[in-house]
Amino acid sequence: MKKVLVVDDDVDIRKVVSKLVEKSGYITIEAKNGVEGMGKVREDKPDLIILDILMPKESGIRMYRELKSEEALKDIPVIVLSAIPEKSFFRSQKVLDEFAGQSVPEPEAYIEKPEEPGELIALMKKILG
Amino acid sequence: MNNKTKILIVDDDVDTVELLTKRFHAEGYHTSEAYDGKQALQQVEEYQPDVILLDIMMPKIDGYEVCKRLKGSEDTKRIPIIMLTAKGKIPDKVKGLGIGADDYIAKPFDYRELSQRVRYWTAVRIEVEERLKEIKHLENELIKSERLAAIGQTVAGLAHYVKNILFGLKGGVYLVNEALKKDETDSLKDGWDMVESNMGRISGLVLDLLEYSRERKPEYEKCFPNEIANEVCKLMEGSAKEYDIEIIKDFDPSIGEAVMDPKGIHRCLLDLVSNARDACIFDSNEQKKWVVRVTTFLEDDGMVRFEVSDNGCGMDEEVKKKLFTSFFTSKEGRGTGLGLLNTQKIVQENSGTITVNSQLGQGSTFTIRLPYRDVATSGAMGKESQS
Repeated sequence: MKKVLVVDDDVDIRKVVSKLVEKSGYITIEAKNGVEGMGKVREDKPDLIILDILMPKESGIRMYRELKSEEALKDIPVIVLSAIPEKSFFRSQKVLDEFAGQSVPEPEAYIEKPEEPGELIALMKKILG
Repeated sequence: MNNKTKILIVDDDVDTVELLTKRFHAEGYHTSEAYDGKQALQQVEEYQPDVILLDIMMPKIDGYEVCKRLKGSEDTKRIPIIMLTAKGKIPDKVKGLGIGADDYIAKPFDYRELSQRVRYWTAVRIEVEERLKEIKHLENELIKSERLAAIGQTVAGLAHYVKNILFGLKGGVYLVNEALKKDETDSLKDGWDMVESNMGRISGLVLDLLEYSRERKPEYEKCFPNEIANEVCKLMEGSAKEYDIEIIKDFDPSIGEAVMDPKGIHRCLLDLVSNARDACIFDSNEQKKWVVRVTTFLEDDGMVRFEVSDNGCGMDEEVKKKLFTSFFTSKEGRGTGLGLLNTQKIVQENSGTITVNSQLGQGSTFTIRLPYRDVATSGAMGKESQS
């Protein structure tokens, strides 16, 4: 069975998303910030990551860039699931790209909360097959 | 008439005043006169001149003193003063010693020269006033935009929080609908739990928001501070026990009946003790024996100290920095990020202070100090309004 890592600092969101993942027939792994998230990525090698942006300790922005800069991990698909508007996220990525002098590929999908949960499930299925 | 430049002529020599008045009127100025220092100060207040011609040697209060007083006052210091001095002995005081005169002219003076100086200083005066108006305007704009920025930030924080709750609700509803479609009772419960939990978060948010936005005056009445602390401990004991957290009470017996704000104190202590409990729950060190200690202490300076300390997870620098920021929460979304802010607000409304000490992994101590008014010594009876 395919594994989905859910990274969100909000325990209620983690619960909801985990249930949606399980209902769709996948296994969930949970992490509550970027540091824990990276640990779980290395440990469990998930097939998909659902990533929140605003989290304490390490934000989703940083975790995403870390992920994409590691050869062994950069091909794991990522769905960003955040209450931060999509535009703000892409703008911040552009700024960071320029600053770092390297361009990081865009995530597979960006879902802005509160999007319909059906949308998330459909995307998951499309990516994981 | 209003646009005319107003000149105040101050001289004890009636002839000089009369002459100058005539000349300035002929040039279209408006004038007023004073014959000694005392009158001069009075006239400045009533007449509000744009320029002052000030003789030095006068009875009662001399010109130096008048100049010093006018230049020392916020209201009058920007009115240009031209001092009239006797010929040949322009005193150093006027020139360099900084009694603050803007200009001087020697008597007997050439009227054309005086007229020119007056014109010059009028222009300066107008320019300064304009600049001041501009600065005032900019200041107002700044205050306005800062307020808008603060509102914007609050709204953005609020919107972010509500979006998360809404997604939780939608997820719960989705699960309920799916369960109904497929007739699965198990996941019906899962979905419904989520709906309920997120509804609880909305209620909490609304209550906290209302409390935060409302200006609350402390309701002073007779009470026993130790009793309040005891009640709060009792209220929290049940949920603390669930997580193997011990609540220790350490109350100062010398604290007696006082006139304080019991409801406010109750609210603050409840917030701090539940925070302390949460800090223990969030602590990942399972080997600890978790303790929340509630202390009261009567300090020498007439303040009561309430202390709530725990040996839970503690806070790192990042959390400490954002502790009193709205909508910041380290409780995995379970806090509204307003609780501590409300506590701080109540403490401030009670003219008290709140401080924090925390070590990551070691625990935190929150200390509130509130003015203690002993019933016996203050003689206050029952309710008292805020001073």
